[in-house]
Amino acid sequence: MDWSALSLSLQLAVMTVLLLLPLAVLLARPLAWVSFPGKGLIDALVTLPLLLPPTVLGFYLLGVFAPQGVLGQTWLALTGRSLVFSFDGLLAASLLVNIPFAVQPVQRAFEAIPREAREAAWCCGLSPWRTLWRVELPLAWPGLASAMVLTFVHTLGEFGVVLMVGGNLDGATRTLSIAIYDRVQAFDDSGAARMSLLLVLIAFAAVGSLHFFTRKVGRRGN
Amino acid sequence: MATDGGPLEVDLRQQTPIPLDCAFDCAPGELLALVGPSGSGKTTVLRCIAGLHRAAQGAIRSNGATWFDERICLPPQQRRAGFVFQNYSLLPHLSALDNVMLALGDVPPRERAATARNWLARVHLQGLDARRPAQLSGGQQQRVALARALARAASGPAAAGGGVLLMDEPFSAVDQVTRGKLRAELARLRQELAIPIVLVTHDLDEARQLADRMVVLHRGKALQTGTSEDVLLRPCSPAVARLVGLTNLFAGTVGIDSGRPCLEWAGRRLAIADSCGCAPGSAVNWVIPAEGVLLHRPDSPSRGEAENPVTGTITEALRMGSFTQLTLSIPGEAQPLVFQASSHTAQRNKLGPGQAASVTLLAERIHLMPAE
Amino acid sequence: MDQPIFRIPRLLRALALPLLAAVLPAPALCVPLGALAADVSSNSPPHIAAAADLQFALPEIVAAFVRSGGAPLKLSFGSSGNFARQIVQGAPFELFLAADERFVAQVIAAGRAEGVGAHYATGRLALFLPQGSPIRADRDLADFAAAVRDGRLQRLAMANPEHAPYGRAAREVLERRGLWLAVQDRLALGDNAAQAAQFAASGAAQAGLIPLSLARAPELAARGSFATLPENWHGPLRQTLVLVKGAGPVARAFAEFLRGPQARAILARNGFGLPAP
Repeated sequence: MDWSALSLSLQLAVMTVLLLLPLAVLLARPLAWVSFPGKGLIDALVTLPLLLPPTVLGFYLLGVFAPQGVLGQTWLALTGRSLVFSFDGLLAASLLVNIPFAVQPVQRAFEAIPREAREAAWCCGLSPWRTLWRVELPLAWPGLASAMVLTFVHTLGEFGVVLMVGGNLDGATRTLSIAIYDRVQAFDDSGAARMSLLLVLIAFAAVGSLHFFTRKVGRRGN
Repeated sequence: MATDGGPLEVDLRQQTPIPLDCAFDCAPGELLALVGPSGSGKTTVLRCIAGLHRAAQGAIRSNGATWFDERICLPPQQRRAGFVFQNYSLLPHLSALDNVMLALGDVPPRERAATARNWLARVHLQGLDARRPAQLSGGQQQRVALARALARAASGPAAAGGGVLLMDEPFSAVDQVTRGKLRAELARLRQELAIPIVLVTHDLDEARQLADRMVVLHRGKALQTGTSEDVLLRPCSPAVARLVGLTNLFAGTVGIDSGRPCLEWAGRRLAIADSCGCAPGSAVNWVIPAEGVLLHRPDSPSRGEAENPVTGTITEALRMGSFTQLTLSIPGEAQPLVFQASSHTAQRNKLGPGQAASVTLLAERIHLMPAE
Repeated sequence: MDQPIFRIPRLLRALALPLLAAVLPAPALCVPLGALAADVSSNSPPHIAAAADLQFALPEIVAAFVRSGGAPLKLSFGSSGNFARQIVQGAPFELFLAADERFVAQVIAAGRAEGVGAHYATGRLALFLPQGSPIRADRDLADFAAAVRDGRLQRLAMANPEHAPYGRAAREVLERRGLWLAVQDRLALGDNAAQAAQFAASGAAQAGLIPLSLARAPELAARGSFATLPENWHGPLRQTLVLVKGAGPVARAFAEFLRGPQARAILARNGFGLPAP
């Protein structure tokens, strides 16, 4: 078992979820409730990472993350760190490729909240911020939970983008899925098998917990 | 409990998305009903008062404080308007108590639970505090919604005035028995409340039973404002008469008979108690409620000369329980006259289609209005 | 506050805390981040990019290096072409062990190298035949050539000649024997030599042209037979090392060690040819 790869994958997945979820809420609410010019375009952009081959994304990200690239240069100037072949870059890429997995379930959940529920909260004197916390997020919880689980599991499993943007650096960018690829090439089948089994178990546990949570909420709601 | 505050004053005008042109006020302790067919803008008016919709022009003031005018448009949070939604709109993830407590943001935190319990008790939901909406019947849910709106409108600083209770078709989603009970309860509760209450309904019976005054809305325009008796017996225009479902609506002319105004109708002269300001010679529409039409009973002839006698042919006799609704076709008039007799009388006199019948139109129940 | 209503944070905590707990005992986030600062001068183990033919020999050499007092290293194996590109783009490797001097030249041309490359070993190509293959192992490819013609060979595993030196060498061998065109549509191209070996060893291909250093490793030897191909059938596979700009003392010491007697013995045992010391 490649423990550093496991730890790296978990760090990446947790940080992706923690950073992306607030962003997803911020993005999904207007997409769910407000109609504005260009909304279709934003909807399409949000879905795009889902449809593009990971290598295409990886290729473009490599371009902008490189020390000569726009983002890479800025990041280097700001932090003194490289964005390609580093955990920072991996996290940035992970945030990007997970946008559809985080935004879409949250958007669907917000769309399902009746307008009257929010209006009732406002008429009770709740500020928009408190309405978000007391009414919208609890009602959107099943969507938030699926966004978290999908993003988490998808981050653990992402391969193509990670390989292209991160390389295969032990302890820095070698995630569990890359380590499995690595182990297979090193003819270490048992190592690959253990790590693959672990990923399968994590995915099962995540989907199982999602089922558990959403069912619990469903019972509570109706 | 609550001390008297000032009235709710509403004046709204806009062209789109729904045309609005109405002005009314509602005093503390008064229950004002907005009536009208669906699409008449009643709900929009209510949403404007709550701050959920912004009208293009106008003003809304409550207890002297401006909620809306050309410069100001307070958000719902800053208007003390308890809102009862048509479909309850309770928050499904919160218990009944939590739903009510949600509206008590201005009450000191320590007192919230007790205040909320008190409101739930006042709508007869003691012991159901911990239930979630899904565990309550429709009627119970609407009581929670009412308690929540009352908590918002009439608790804490609101008791000093400025709170209003807004209800949007509050009883339309429950069954009829429950509806009756809820109405009775609202009638009882409102006696204890010193806040303006605005009720939106398309049910005239409900408006008549509960409201002190009603505003008849049609396409966003307030056609008549007055007590339910005013509106139902003395509509100001044929349009209002039709909207409130008056069936006996006819056209005629104001005439003079022995120096007194009378009504010329279908070749007859009818005595009237009041010309309602219509000048002699002017074309008018007139209405008479079913109760103003009395059947001449051959089995017990009236003594003396009958007032405004009219004879016609019965075209339909509908037995509706203890009374029978009779439709009378009158020579010279295309519209039939509808009135009621007790089923007992109708049976004894064998009143049925084809039979001739005479009736009296009580002069004091005839109401005139300028023709359209 | 009115505590009993809101439930999200509790559920969030329920999910997030165990995850954080699982993550935090591992090197804290800042450690891997800091280690990758643009100047690779920190004291965490240096990253070494190694051609895939070193998959088995290099860990042995590193073990010897550590035993003789060297610090640990972090190894990444892959195709020399991909590594060259990554290093040019700023990947934080300190030492590049290429299977071909050409890729070292690319790194030098991009200004990412320190000094010139050093040739420390020579790779050899082998024909690997998995168990159950209908083809016999012979060092002049006679039966292999027959198998290409009579169709016994359905799949041939080799590294991608575009960016893997052993792929290029395999292609030269096939061209020399006049078989290149015939096998075109039967190739299973590995991203690097180790993946090609993996394809061949799995039995998915009836034969593989792979590094001798992999073919003779116990992991593969157990899964088939092999024949070493004549050295002059393809251009030399000059295993060349080069230090990347900013390399630290550990990487430098290891580059030195690779050319020393202990490493040479291990390389020889793994099937590499050795240049004169």
